[in-house]
Amino acid sequence: MDAEEIKDKAVYVLKSALNQGAEDVIVNILVDKTHQVKFANNDIASTKTWDSVNMHVFLTLKKRIVSTLISDLSNRNVDESIRNLIKFAKSLKPSVDYHGIAEGPFNYGGVAGSCDKKIAGLSTENIDYVECAINKALNYAKRTAGVLYTTHLKDYIVSSNNIEASYERTNIEISLRAFADKNASGHGVSCATNLRDFNPGEAGKKAGEIAKQALNPVEGREGVYDIIFDPLAFANLLGHILGFASAFSVDIGESFLADRIDKVIGSEIVTLVDDGSLAGGFNSSKFDAEGVPTQRNVVVEKGILKTYLHNTSTAKKYGVESTANAGLISPHPWNAVVEPGDYGRDELFSGVNKGLYITNVWYTRFQNYRTGDFSTIPRDGLFLIENGEVSQPLSNLRVSDNLLTVLKNITALGDKREWIHWWDAEVPSLLPYVLVKDVRVTKPED
Amino acid sequence: MVFDILKMFNDLMEFILNHADKLGAQYAEVRLEHSVDNSFILKNGNPDAAGFSSITGLSIRVIVDGAMGFSSTNRLIKPRIKEIVGDVVKTARASSRLVKKPVGLSEEKTVNTRYEIKQKTRIQDIEPDEKLSELMAVENTLEDTGINLPARFFELSDEVREKYYVNSEGTRIHSIIPRVGIFYLITAMSNGNMEQRMFQYAESGGWEAVKNWNLPEKIASEAKTLDNVLREGKKSPEGKLDLVLGPEVVGIAVHESTGHPYESDRILGREAAQAGESFVSPDMLNTRIGSDVVNVVEDPTIRHSYGFYLYDDEGVKAKKRFLIKEGVINEFLCNRETAYELGIKSNAAARASNFDREPIVRMANTFISPGDYGFEELIGDVKHGVYMKTFMEWNIDDKRFNQRYVGREAYLIENGELKHPVKKPVLELTTPAFYEAIDAVGNDLAFVAGTCGKGDPMQGIPVWMGGPHIRLRDLTLK
Repeated sequence: MDAEEIKDKAVYVLKSALNQGAEDVIVNILVDKTHQVKFANNDIASTKTWDSVNMHVFLTLKKRIVSTLISDLSNRNVDESIRNLIKFAKSLKPSVDYHGIAEGPFNYGGVAGSCDKKIAGLSTENIDYVECAINKALNYAKRTAGVLYTTHLKDYIVSSNNIEASYERTNIEISLRAFADKNASGHGVSCATNLRDFNPGEAGKKAGEIAKQALNPVEGREGVYDIIFDPLAFANLLGHILGFASAFSVDIGESFLADRIDKVIGSEIVTLVDDGSLAGGFNSSKFDAEGVPTQRNVVVEKGILKTYLHNTSTAKKYGVESTANAGLISPHPWNAVVEPGDYGRDELFSGVNKGLYITNVWYTRFQNYRTGDFSTIPRDGLFLIENGEVSQPLSNLRVSDNLLTVLKNITALGDKREWIHWWDAEVPSLLPYVLVKDVRVTKPED
Repeated sequence: MVFDILKMFNDLMEFILNHADKLGAQYAEVRLEHSVDNSFILKNGNPDAAGFSSITGLSIRVIVDGAMGFSSTNRLIKPRIKEIVGDVVKTARASSRLVKKPVGLSEEKTVNTRYEIKQKTRIQDIEPDEKLSELMAVENTLEDTGINLPARFFELSDEVREKYYVNSEGTRIHSIIPRVGIFYLITAMSNGNMEQRMFQYAESGGWEAVKNWNLPEKIASEAKTLDNVLREGKKSPEGKLDLVLGPEVVGIAVHESTGHPYESDRILGREAAQAGESFVSPDMLNTRIGSDVVNVVEDPTIRHSYGFYLYDDEGVKAKKRFLIKEGVINEFLCNRETAYELGIKSNAAARASNFDREPIVRMANTFISPGDYGFEELIGDVKHGVYMKTFMEWNIDDKRFNQRYVGREAYLIENGELKHPVKKPVLELTTPAFYEAIDAVGNDLAFVAGTCGKGDPMQGIPVWMGGPHIRLRDLTLK
């Protein structure tokens, strides 16, 4: 579908819904073309392509809120879907928790560096990038697995409240795991919105180097450690933390940040930002799901929780302005950003006499979302730090602590940041190395 | 309007197979899915956005020059589809230069069949307000308990998923499976302390399943349990003791530490960069992993189970799989690709969560087979121990060796009797340590529903997991 067809279709649906009695209406059309190359054992496992057009329709009728996803955009099907949606809305009960959608029009700035048409044109070249990454990793390791994605997304929005906007974004990313042995692995990623910033070779090299260094691990010991988290590892926790900043998560009891606005939740050096407007941001967008221009939101400033993430409705409920993070049901973070610190990488490590270096984690789960009690499991290279040097590789440990404690115990941040996005770090993040003191680490009984 | 997917799309699907063949594909399959789903949210007593969708799309999988290609679309127009077939064949062919070990599929019988789960009360016939009323009834019952529950979240969902699968070997399978489910998270508060319960009910079937769950009574009972733990719970004992686990904990443990590590794609390294690999290797077949009372079964054919299917997403007939027999590793879960690599037949574990996802090796319904012990017998023979009935936090490493379960509802056992609730007992141990410690298996059997995550992009797949109560001897609790 070209731009005019998309616009005509969205406006058609908007008018149709309004004519049938809907009050607030948002029509959003997403055109998505994604390619994937999946590899394992140094071989291509499969190549994949997704080609889709989807229309999301959100409408309200006397505070009854409904939404639908339509994939068949023929006028006949669209008419029937809207009729059904109105009928659906009429049979529901009103929500006293609904406070409306954004009122436009808005002036939209562009998001610099968000679209590289060269990425949109890539096809079999992706296989060359994979080959490059594998070969770099194999300089250090024996075996690799991973995935490369390219995405070209077109997003068009129109609403009953004077909103009309469109946006186009490209992404390219590779996530590679290298194995020097069955029990010695490393992981590297490279993710960008333009080809210039994409470096598959570097991702392969990092994964391979860690894998080689992780050879011959010994069982780790339970205890309390100062831990340096690689950006890849801390991105997993950061995604959870920014996710818990969603007003929706707070409302349903799924957040340790509830009742903590303007309170200290981290050390003074911790400033966490959600920024959907970030130039070159992996998940930046010109507008949110209501059409509100995205912005830079300082969620935690020098350790103090300043705001939750809001759409228009949750913002009105809390008596604040929207932070442009709609999600019509649940506000969500765009790009999770940690403000950098002063420490060079070597300087950071040299300040730790006895601690751990965790290069990656997965499977973070919570005993209690309201308190933040959690555990997460290191995977890939896990090392002892002795006298400022990365030394013995370890195995079979688990970080078992509390997110508030972790944030409050952050004592140093690296001065360089990396973009992280992979299978178990779903919120794209820009962050440095993070040093956390006194973290509880446990191990399993044999 | 009756949506007849065979009438509407049969010609298109046959065209895809023919066109792929013409372009040189050695194998092709097409899986078309039409799903109609609804969801309802009740958040702290208020209905949030309700949603419905009716989606149709298809995926094409081909093998060209030993390379696998996959493509999916919801733009079901013949000229566009023709381009997509051309692209998927071209890309697979281009990737074949990096394929050192050509992809193959195990030889399986071709099938031409249709199956369906019949609904006693059709989901489609229940009005939205009645569905929402089910949640309101839970809310009202919780209010009647008088327990302080500052946060209450419920999501009711249903779907009817129709699939038509065809492949170039001649298999044609048409299936219709309705599913219903509810997910909830409630928070109880007392004296400034909070406890939470997150749970999911789900099965394959019609609206009658929701009515049978008796949600208001069950969830009110959970709230009372949370309140009881808050008011009466004491510190959990630590150190060496005996443990009795309820079916919910048994279910998550066998899902995580038998089901996942016995997935052959993990064993062979295909999911290494995402869900991970396995501590199990092919040469561990027929070796001991647990005590001889342990039997772990995987069975997709349980009627009305959440993981139900009769043919997998590669057209292979489903059957009961015996992963552990009397403590010995007996069988891995395979699709056609991994079965070919291992030189065996598929046991029908290929599943895809939607039309736009590749079929990969998945569980369906995983459980420990019941034994002979009554619950009283299991408890009665414990001098000092803990009964962990349910859990909240859990995780396991990416080789499925280092696992942890933190109890939600748990009780002290002293001299064969259940005593007061204990708070957050932590069981953290290796997989062999878990299965070796099981000395008695109960004669009951219960399942819980889950949405299992695996694949890249992520595929949440419906499963059941469960078992009887079991007893483990001489383990360390933290």
